[in-house]
Amino acid sequence: MKLTQTNPNFFKSIFNGRNAVIAIPYIWLLLLFLLPFIYVLKISFAETIYARPPYSPLLIWGDSWLPSIKASFDNYLFLFSDSLYIKAYLSSLKIAFISTILTLIIGYSIAYSVARAPTRWRGILLMLVILPFWTSFLIRVYAWIGILKTEGLLNLALMSIGIIEKPLMIMNTDLAVYIGIIYSYLPFMILPLYANLEKMDMSLLEAAADLGCRPFKAFWTVTIPLSLPGIMAGCFLVFIPVMGEFVIPDLLGGSETLMIGKVLWTEFFYNRDWPVASAVAILLLAILVVPIMLYQRSQEKAIS
Amino acid sequence: MSENIKVSPWLDSSHKPYIEIQNVTKRFGEFTAIDNLTLDIYKNEFFSLLGPSGCGKTTLLRMLAGFEKITDGKILLDGEDISEIPPHLRPINMMFQSYALFPHMTVEKNIAFGLKQDNLPANEINQRVEEMLELVELTDFANRKPNQLSGGQSQRVALARSLAKRPKLLLLDEPLGALDKRLREQTQFELMDIQEKLEVTFVIVTHDQEEAMTVSSRIGVMDSGNLVQVATPAEIYEAPINKDVADFIGDVNILKGIYKGQNEIGTQLLSEDSNSIVFATQDAGASVEDEMWFAIRPEKLEISRTKPSHNHNILKGKIEDIAYGGSFSTYHVKLDNGKILKAIRANRERTKEHHLTWDDEVYLQWAAHSAVVLLS
Repeated sequence: MKLTQTNPNFFKSIFNGRNAVIAIPYIWLLLLFLLPFIYVLKISFAETIYARPPYSPLLIWGDSWLPSIKASFDNYLFLFSDSLYIKAYLSSLKIAFISTILTLIIGYSIAYSVARAPTRWRGILLMLVILPFWTSFLIRVYAWIGILKTEGLLNLALMSIGIIEKPLMIMNTDLAVYIGIIYSYLPFMILPLYANLEKMDMSLLEAAADLGCRPFKAFWTVTIPLSLPGIMAGCFLVFIPVMGEFVIPDLLGGSETLMIGKVLWTEFFYNRDWPVASAVAILLLAILVVPIMLYQRSQEKAIS
Repeated sequence: MSENIKVSPWLDSSHKPYIEIQNVTKRFGEFTAIDNLTLDIYKNEFFSLLGPSGCGKTTLLRMLAGFEKITDGKILLDGEDISEIPPHLRPINMMFQSYALFPHMTVEKNIAFGLKQDNLPANEINQRVEEMLELVELTDFANRKPNQLSGGQSQRVALARSLAKRPKLLLLDEPLGALDKRLREQTQFELMDIQEKLEVTFVIVTHDQEEAMTVSSRIGVMDSGNLVQVATPAEIYEAPINKDVADFIGDVNILKGIYKGQNEIGTQLLSEDSNSIVFATQDAGASVEDEMWFAIRPEKLEISRTKPSHNHNILKGKIEDIAYGGSFSTYHVKLDNGKILKAIRANRERTKEHHLTWDDEVYLQWAAHSAVVLLS
């Protein structure tokens, strides 16, 4: 058999129904992720100009038949020269990290109690966790303004009980941002944790008790290690989007609340500096590549 | 049968029971799982709780382990009331039906888990783990994770883990249920050897009557939350207390009839099936005209083509089915009234001459002392 000869069924074998189905997610990712990403990457190497669109072209078609490339790293260098951006990245990392830990603690206790609730209650309890998704995310964050503001529900309630005399200044502080983030992202923590804890074999805890292990210690030596895949999944599902969060710090945070998502938005819409905004976005993605890959690996492990 | 107990302590009132289950009741809401149950188990016994699913045997085992709270009554271990002691403080270990091996720990760590809870020095833990691995012949598998083990190996790790703390009492919940037949039989003997070697009292829950017969010093047959009969395997088999026990343990033929008093042979029963009087040596202890049953094990029914010379305890029928079992054959014999009895005959001859075959007219007979008289 000649190896060079093309099999007549070759094309048929590629364009079959099975491959077509497999191709759908790839085409989706290509069109809606990879192409926009390349576009943003391209803009990040451009210069700001007063034009429409407001950036210089990457390829310049001159006299020769090959275009010349005009790319600059100025935007990236600029991000490192102005301490605002570094501070914003670090502040975002800090806020994402702290709120992930807090969401984990709250989410774990909720997921644990739902997973240990009588079977007939679990569906309803889980439903309650998911229920907020029925309302727009934006509206729910706005609702927190009504609760947290100086003359808001929380202060009114606390003052009417007599716990405080002066209203608490929560609104427009980092605290309000943390409350908003934890509230909004809690379901993303609870759901993977619940999926993990619910299928845990209860006889393992009985075995631990049988072998002389106190319930509290059994929790740390058996339950926690076995729920690690759920903990990883939940933490990444919260950490990654919180890192780029813009709406919550914008609505609930104050002028001191610095988050890279907010900076990006400002660059894009107020300063109309698309190249710098794109560079901010690319750098944010670069920072998130590490946790995203860790998440991928933990998911693969969980599957195998 | 376990030979660990050379004497029978349950027959000797000077022996003090090791485990005393006193009037224990367990209710789950409205449902009564264990109903006022009393049972004594002696040191070094290999005691089996046997019964159909839902009879309460597992609940009783879990109460011994401490996983279920006793609603009423109490349990004593070595004279000490353990009813209120939480599971992690009881000197009792359990081997779980699912084995419940910690999937994130190696074989070694699984076995060491219980020892670590007692804060034993590291070298002692290592030594004990080593011993246990040798006992169950898994030394080469010390660093494997449970998901890298076969069913039989997992079973042995679970056993080693539950024995590592040298418990006063080992509870085994269907320990061999997940193993295939050959491995199960082999493991039964291993279990008996280990029990003898370590001198631990074993209480095992099983629904497999053959397993219970093989391993136990005594069997407690349970039904609907109570013990129906507690006796040695041979007693349970040869002298069951009622039809249910007779039927549950092994195969049995039950003849129903009316008690017609005693004569020189023994108990007379007017059999519903043959419409004649049949006999058993055992005394009935009933009043005449009471309803009564004879239980006859299939291997005690003799089957032949020729009519026996004597004329009592004979039933005539036709061979309906034959189950060839190699060393023996089971014959299903249909009586004139349509009832089917089972008779087992050892296949002593290789030739076909003596073979019975389908539709043969046969006579079934039994010795009067082979039938068990049952009043319920």
